[in-house]
Amino acid sequence: MSSGVEMVLSIAKDALAAQQDGINVTGHNIANVNTPGYSRQSPVLEAKEPELYGGVLLGRGVDTTQVVRASDQVLENRLMQQKSDMFSFKEMESYMQVFEGLFNENSDSSLSGLIGDFWNLWHDLANNPSGTAERVALYEHSALLSQHFNDLDGDLSQLDTDLTNALRGGIEKINEITAEIARLNDEIVGLENDGMANDLRDQRNTLASELTEYIDAKIFEQDNGSFTIVSAKGCVLVNQDENYDLQMNGDAVEWLGSGGAAVDITNHITKGKLGGWLDMRDEIVAKYQGDLNALAEEFIWTLNQQHSQGVGLEAFSSVTATYDVSDTGEELGTADSGLDYYDRLSDGTFNVWVYDSAGAVVGGAPTVITVDADPGGTTLASITADINAVANINASITTDNKLQIDAAGGFTFAFSDDTSNVLAGLGINTFFKGATAGGMGVNDVIGSNKNCIAAAQIDALGNFASGDNANALAMTDVQYASKSIGIWTCDRRDGNTEGTTNATLEDYYHAMVGSIGIKASSISGSRAFSEVMVNELTTMRESISGVSLDEEMTELIKYQHAFAAAAKLITVADEMLDTLISVK
Amino acid sequence: MRVTNSIIYDTIKLRLSRITEELNKANTVVATGKRILKLSDDPVGLTQGLSIKSTLSNIEQMGRNITLGKSWLAASESAMTQVQDIISEAKALSVQMASDTAGEAERRSAAETVQNLLEEIVSLANTEVNGRYVFAGSETDTAPFSLESDNSVTYHGDNNPFTVKTGKDATVQVGSDGEAVFGTIGQPDDIFKAFNDLKTALEGDDISGIQAGMDDLDSRFDHITSRISDIGSKMLRMEIKENIFQDLNITNTERLSRIEDADITEAILDLRAKEVAYQAALSSASKVLQMSLLDYM
Repeated sequence: MSSGVEMVLSIAKDALAAQQDGINVTGHNIANVNTPGYSRQSPVLEAKEPELYGGVLLGRGVDTTQVVRASDQVLENRLMQQKSDMFSFKEMESYMQVFEGLFNENSDSSLSGLIGDFWNLWHDLANNPSGTAERVALYEHSALLSQHFNDLDGDLSQLDTDLTNALRGGIEKINEITAEIARLNDEIVGLENDGMANDLRDQRNTLASELTEYIDAKIFEQDNGSFTIVSAKGCVLVNQDENYDLQMNGDAVEWLGSGGAAVDITNHITKGKLGGWLDMRDEIVAKYQGDLNALAEEFIWTLNQQHSQGVGLEAFSSVTATYDVSDTGEELGTADSGLDYYDRLSDGTFNVWVYDSAGAVVGGAPTVITVDADPGGTTLASITADINAVANINASITTDNKLQIDAAGGFTFAFSDDTSNVLAGLGINTFFKGATAGGMGVNDVIGSNKNCIAAAQIDALGNFASGDNANALAMTDVQYASKSIGIWTCDRRDGNTEGTTNATLEDYYHAMVGSIGIKASSISGSRAFSEVMVNELTTMRESISGVSLDEEMTELIKYQHAFAAAAKLITVADEMLDTLISVK
Repeated sequence: MRVTNSIIYDTIKLRLSRITEELNKANTVVATGKRILKLSDDPVGLTQGLSIKSTLSNIEQMGRNITLGKSWLAASESAMTQVQDIISEAKALSVQMASDTAGEAERRSAAETVQNLLEEIVSLANTEVNGRYVFAGSETDTAPFSLESDNSVTYHGDNNPFTVKTGKDATVQVGSDGEAVFGTIGQPDDIFKAFNDLKTALEGDDISGIQAGMDDLDSRFDHITSRISDIGSKMLRMEIKENIFQDLNITNTERLSRIEDADITEAILDLRAKEVAYQAALSSASKVLQMSLLDYM
């Protein structure tokens, strides 16, 4: 129990210390005005317990009990979730820009322009069926068109690879962040025996926010102050001072749990950059790559089917098919045959015409070969034997399981009236080779001899004329024909399914490009919306936790004046003591 | 609401970046004159634009097909008209030669003339356009008619006239089956036989033969006339089609322009508005950023 003047000195000392704390905290706030994630701090000043002195309760001065930070963890969490969405859309938007660029239709070399010119070149050939220039131009342009399909497919595959690489990088970053959060958890729990670990908590919030930029993350604060973070499919990323890593396994994202077993969580990740990359890779790129392949498949087939009905300027002396089978003994009309277009074959017949060196039809009539596409019917081996039975030509199977037909010396052969589609299916007398966007090309037979482009058709007597454009005209008609073309729906949760749509080849492509545009614009819209939400929440957060320099300046003045007054108190106490001492 | 320094800075940053983005876009629209620069700018308009472009490309091709077809028809018409002239000439000659006033020598020399006329018809029947024979059916690369040593004519063509495409479901035969025009070789409608018979009659001084030949020539003349009117009506159809395509070309080009091209007046006004907004944002930002309590302490 101290005397009056001593009490005054003690109060003055505490006051000086408390105001100095205030200036300290204000200084800390000013220093961190631009620190992201920083929450404004303030000292909590409390009047000390009063003391009974001479029957009066007298105050004993001030005490700084703690320093608190202005923070609303619920709001912080909402902001993190919103940011998570925003980053997902942001990543998708930036990849969509690349994607849109691939299908840019403003340039002259766009795919739709190339397809349009392709039809026109068939018209030109129809207008001059024996013209070498028209044949070469058609061939060159078709090679260019195929190349464009190949390039687009390659670009989409590259995008797929880029996205997988981005995922790999993202996962490394996530593992770093979760390790750091686990470390901070440990530190915070340790420190908070002595009061709030304000700055460490801010640091941890910043890291948690960064984590939600990458992946779905739900954050729970435990009673001891540590964060538990749960991600997609309920997998725990951080618990107390432990963190659990993610890893890439091929295309899949896996969680390595405490048990050591890897759990595939790929299709459960919906937010953050990872969610954006996965949506982009497994839904958007996958869909349009599927659609592009469906278009290429139909494009190649329709033109090949018509082409195989025609005849070039000259008959073949030797021809090798472009499509192979996996088993020469399997029915061509079944998947087991391994033939790309097995499902397009049907029961029917085709004519084989053999010409002697003078161009006359051997035997005066064609050999009719019957095809039974159903199971139990024609195989590559059986059709090879049937063709081989025709006089003056030899049919064989190459080592890579393709049909090869060679005429005896001086003889030539040609085909007509194929109602079974087997010629187009095997790739005999066809225009294109391949069955996908990546594998598309012009048949090598045509590459080495442009006269094999079939502008004409064989008449009932086996004749074909150089000025006949019947088949070329039929080829131009393909552009107007509505086809049933596959169209993909890709969904990471529900799986990928292929439906069909009826459209001309060009309209299908136009619709595809249009739908890419719609997708891109809706992603941009979602990004803009989530950005507005993030800004809104950021402003709210700043409003609560941010530092205002004007406010801090005012605080500074407040504490400064109080400090001066407390100092004055010491002077007064000193004088009081002097006065007392001088009383003699 | 408590407004902190970072709220002020962030808001200014965001506003300025948004306005800069809009300004940049407005500027690109003015610079390129195009309204759609990316697929996402207007996916629906883009899809429409693409199908109009492919329609236009098809229309242009049809125009080329029709031009080619017209050149075939014009060549055929001109050849057939000349053949008619030759028939008329032969007719006039026959009229003279059928009269009693003509002597044997004159008829013999007239026979020479008829031979020349025959050769001229064979040459006209081998009329070419761009190196393709128009009266050869689809054997357009081989001269369809040849005069043999016995003065008979052989047809090397076939019976499928050369065809061009003039529309989605429309084709027009612009070439001709030579035998349909000049008659089936050896048959009564064979024009070359008519000339050969006339020549034989003249050489044989056979007046009734000459008169029979005149009748033949008349019926050949009529036949060619009907072929010419056939060609004429095809020509007319082609021209009507051509006009339709030209109109379609114009309307589609206009539609494409409406979809793809920016309204320049509107685009420039838009650019001006964005510029003003940008300047306003800059000046308000500079004022707000200057203010601080420190200035008053």
